[in-house]
Formats: sequence, structure tokens, C-alpha cells
Amino acid sequence: MAYERTLQAMTWADAGHMAPELILIAMMAVLIMLDLLLPRRVDRSLIGWLSLASLLGSFVSVVWRIQHQADQSLASEALGLLNDNYRIDDFGAMFKLLLLTAAALIVLWSLGAMKQGSSGQLVHQGEYYYLMLPATAGAMLMTSTGDLITLYTGLELLSISTYVLVGLRARRALTAQAASSEEKVSAKPAEAAFKYVVTGGISSAFILFGMSYLYGLTGSTHVGEIGSSLPQAVESFRGLIYLAFFFMAAGFGIKIAAAPFHAWAPDVYEGAPTPVSAFLAVVSKTAAAVALFRLFYNVVFPESLSNGSTIGHDLFRAVLAVAACAMIVGTLSALRQHNMKRLLALSGVANAGYLIAPIGLSFYGVHSNNAAELFFYAAAYLCMNIGAFAVLSIVAGSRRDADGSVQLRSFEGLYHRAPWTAGAMIIFVLSLAGLPISGGFFGKLFVMMGAASSHAYWLVAIMAGTSVISYYVYFGIVRQMFMRSSGDEPVHVPAASGIVVWLCAAATLVLGVYPNGLLHWFEHVFSVVGDLLILR
Amino acid sequence: MLASYLTMAAILFCIGLYGAFVKRNAVVVLLSIELMLNSVNLNLVAFSKYGAVPSLTGQVFALFTIAVAAAEAAVGVAVLIALFRARGTVKADEFDELRR
Repeated sequence: MAYERTLQAMTWADAGHMAPELILIAMMAVLIMLDLLLPRRVDRSLIGWLSLASLLGSFVSVVWRIQHQADQSLASEALGLLNDNYRIDDFGAMFKLLLLTAAALIVLWSLGAMKQGSSGQLVHQGEYYYLMLPATAGAMLMTSTGDLITLYTGLELLSISTYVLVGLRARRALTAQAASSEEKVSAKPAEAAFKYVVTGGISSAFILFGMSYLYGLTGSTHVGEIGSSLPQAVESFRGLIYLAFFFMAAGFGIKIAAAPFHAWAPDVYEGAPTPVSAFLAVVSKTAAAVALFRLFYNVVFPESLSNGSTIGHDLFRAVLAVAACAMIVGTLSALRQHNMKRLLALSGVANAGYLIAPIGLSFYGVHSNNAAELFFYAAAYLCMNIGAFAVLSIVAGSRRDADGSVQLRSFEGLYHRAPWTAGAMIIFVLSLAGLPISGGFFGKLFVMMGAASSHAYWLVAIMAGTSVISYYVYFGIVRQMFMRSSGDEPVHVPAASGIVVWLCAAATLVLGVYPNGLLHWFEHVFSVVGDLLILR
Repeated sequence: MLASYLTMAAILFCIGLYGAFVKRNAVVVLLSIELMLNSVNLNLVAFSKYGAVPSLTGQVFALFTIAVAAAEAAVGVAVLIALFRARGTVKADEFDELRR
């Protein structure tokens, strides 16, 4: 089965279909030039507003495409651009909406955070805003790849942009240097960035090594072709195929920060500027999980249907084991954590378990909506995590000490200092803990029901157990906010940060009260055969 | 023929992984990562010539990998320079400000 693949030039019609990504890339180029040409005295939040506008423009063009397809009753038709390297389908489009929402919320919140106090102000604000665009475009590429090369390119576009974003240092580092040259400049952002570059590089190498074997044994980099020629390859090279998948799963595990591969996450999140931590926690994680979902379902799923197949089942079981491990390790290590950013990083590790659990729960019997579970959980996770990080940055901005690290006790008496922000934080904490009237509750519930309907009862038990343990972690925050009183002056909440906090809180509540709205919309738009599977 | 290339690539990958975990000099850590990425290139090119289904795609993939790895190395070295300015050292085990 040798396919001779022809080169296909990009046409204007293709460019129209890729408009959401192209808008971001083009605007990045424009903003780089603008940043160079604008005189120094012009406030760089202008670039922030423009990048927010381009994210929204990209969002509108994705929505327009979904609507356009629905109007023309092409709901099940997916397009393969550039010789099927790039897939335009509703699976990708729905997750692109999530990623763009997350990026837009983070940019809006940064516009507030940069104004507040000294700890949030970055030295290179222009770079910060326009690097958000290629990072988001990379994440979007990952959600709609039909080819390993495209997947790798998107992954690296996301990773390399975020390497730089993590390393951007705050202005306070400079003033500290000016005040006392004896005192060491805070190396935290650079150190975090270096750790992230090294772990990210290792994870890319693992993914690539796995991909190279997959290509060598099946003769193609197109995921649909790999899927169709895998059963043949398994017969003669079983061990090597296992090796390839093992390497790829490990590499993606590092990117998602799931448990045995999560050691970098607390360090990097702590050292990075807070909005960038939220970006890593939400956008990188979701994009990697979605890419893994599409890859596994196209490459392994056809093989797992055939009789006597082991490799598909083993792989799905391995994903479930990583998910369980992530939940247990993330929850237990959060118990002893007092640094808020590290705590949220570890809670993100536990949440990564929930994100990848639907991937491992493949289609057994009646269980067919794991894409919807992943989508709903990703949406709930987006709202609660960005909200919690935004509250954290508001608290950090109100503190006088230049250390910049936010401990659990920084939330002391927040209810008396900023009652509305404390109220929003309650909603996020409820959602993170998975208690009712919050999006997190239904997100966890759907994943659990999915696990139960595919008879993975041990996973349900682990989910329930770790949720109960995590109550202790999250209610520590509530106790600090309400039970303690503190003499500090009221916290100043910048308008943009306040808007983001309340948008996230409202969305969390809406998802908790009326989860069916989002779920039905997703199931209305998405079909497994038309959108997810790439058949060749 | 293929087996020897694959073994060579696997050995390079392992040396790179060992170096990335063990080496104390941060520049050598970055070099080790490059070694891992280059072992992948060797794999891809070997497969594209002697693989089960030979095709040009492997060489194209290798070109992509080389380009992206160069970008990654550039960012890695830039970050390392920023870190060196702040800390005055490139010893990886002295980068411990984040562990408390």
C-alpha cells in the first residue's frame, strides 16, 4: 500500500478555511512591527487590546464556519486541507472555541493585572501580548491535525512561544536591583523558563522518537493511513509498535503534566507570570489532551476493533493508569502545599487525570460520548482555573512585600478585604472540589458516569476517593478567607481582572445549573464518524 | 542495514537522555537535548530509505525537525543567558530558587 503523496499548493479557498489561525499569525506579524515602530512612551496595553481583538476575530470566524456548515446541512462533512494534513471539522472547531475563549480571558485579565501594583508588571509587555497569539495558534493547529508533521509543528509553535512567555520577568526585579545592588535579582522567571525548556525539549524528543518508529513501521505520517496499516504492522513488529506508543504517551504525558511526568509543573507555574501559569494550565493542557484524543482514536481505534487485538486495549489501559496516577499524586501532594501557585499546579495535575480519562475510556458498549465528556470537562476546567488564577493575581497585586510569592495565608481575611472577589473564589473552590451547583461537579460526574458505563469501576473509586481528599485542600482556602480576620486595607480589584473573575464565576454557575445546554450543543454539532475519524 | 541505523539512533537517544538528566552544566544539558532530537532525524532518514514502506515523507519530516530544533535551541540558549545574568552561574544544580 504505497501512497504517492502529491504536493498541493495552498489555494485561496484553503486560506478561507484556515482563517482563524491565519488571523492570529498575521496579527502577530503586524503587532511585532507596531511594537517596534511605536515610540517608547506609548502604553503597550494598546497591543494588548489589539491582540484581544484578533483573538475575538478568530473566535467569530470559527463560529461563522460552524454556523455556515449547519446552515448548508453539511454537518457531517469534514474538510481535509493541503492533502489532508490539516483537518477542518467540528471536533477541532469546538475545541478551538474553548482555546480562544481561554486565551481571550487571559489577555483581558493581563490588561488589568499589568496595571496593578508592581508585581504584575512585566518589563516586556508588547512581547507578552503578541506572543500569546502564536501560542494560541499552535494550540489550535494541534486540535485539527491530520498528520504527524502538522501535529509536531503545532506542538512546537505552542511550546516555543510559551518558553519565552514563562521567562518574561516582572519589573520589580529591576527596581530591586536598583535599590540594592548587593541583593540578588530574582532569577525565578528565567529559572522556570529554563526548566520548562529542558523538560519541554525532552518531551518533544520522546514524542518525535515515537513518531519516527510509527512512520517507519507503517510508511506514512498521515494518521488515517497509519490507522489503516497498523494491524498489518502489528503482526510483524509488535514490540516496536509498543515502544513507539510508549514513547509518544510519555511525551504527551509531560506536556499534559499528568502524574509520573508532572515534576516540572509546580516549579514552572510558580516562576512564571501568573497569567502565563493559567495559560499553561488551561490552553497547553487542553490542546495536548485533544491532540492525543484525535491521534489515539485514529491510529489505535481501528486496530482495537479487530479480534484478538491487544495493543489498542493495552494502550487505553495505560492511559487510564496514568489518569488514575495523576489524580492520586496530584491530590496527595497538594495536601502539604502552602504556596498557592504550586497548589493550583498540583490541582491541575489532578485535573489532568480527569481530562485524559475520557481518552482511555474507549467505546465499550453503550459508552459513546467520551468526546462530549472531554469537551465539558475542559470547559468547566477553563472557567474555574482561569478564575482561581485571576483571584490569586488580584491577591498578589495587593500585597506590599516585594517577594511576589502568594502563600495560602495571603488569602487571610479576604472576605473582609474584598467580599465580592472572595465570593467568586468560593464558586471556583466549589467547582475545583467538584461540589454541586458548579461546572466542576457536572464535569466530574460525566467523566465518572462514562467510567462506570465502560465498567472501569476501579477508576470511579479512585475519582471519588481523591475528590473527597481534595475537599481538605480546597476548604483550607475557604477557611483562610472567612475564618481569619486581618487588618490589611481593602484589596484593589482592577476593572479588567474583576470582569474576568466574574465572567468565569458566572460561566461556572451556568455550567453547574444548566449543563445540558453546552452538552446538547456539542452533541448536536459533533459526530464521531464525520468529525473525529479520518478514514482513508 | 536498517537495524544498525536504528541501534545507532537508540544509542544516541540514550546518551542524550542520560546527559540531560545527569550533567551539571546547563549548556551540556541543552546539547544533550539536541542529541536526542538528532537521533530522531537519523531514525527518520533511515526509515525513509530502508523502512517497511520507503517514502520521501521521512526526509521531509527530518527537515521540519531540524528547523524546529534550531528554533528551540535558540530560545533555550537565550533563556540560559538570561538566567546566567541573574545568577552568575550555569551549573544546573544551583538553579534551586524555586524548590524553597
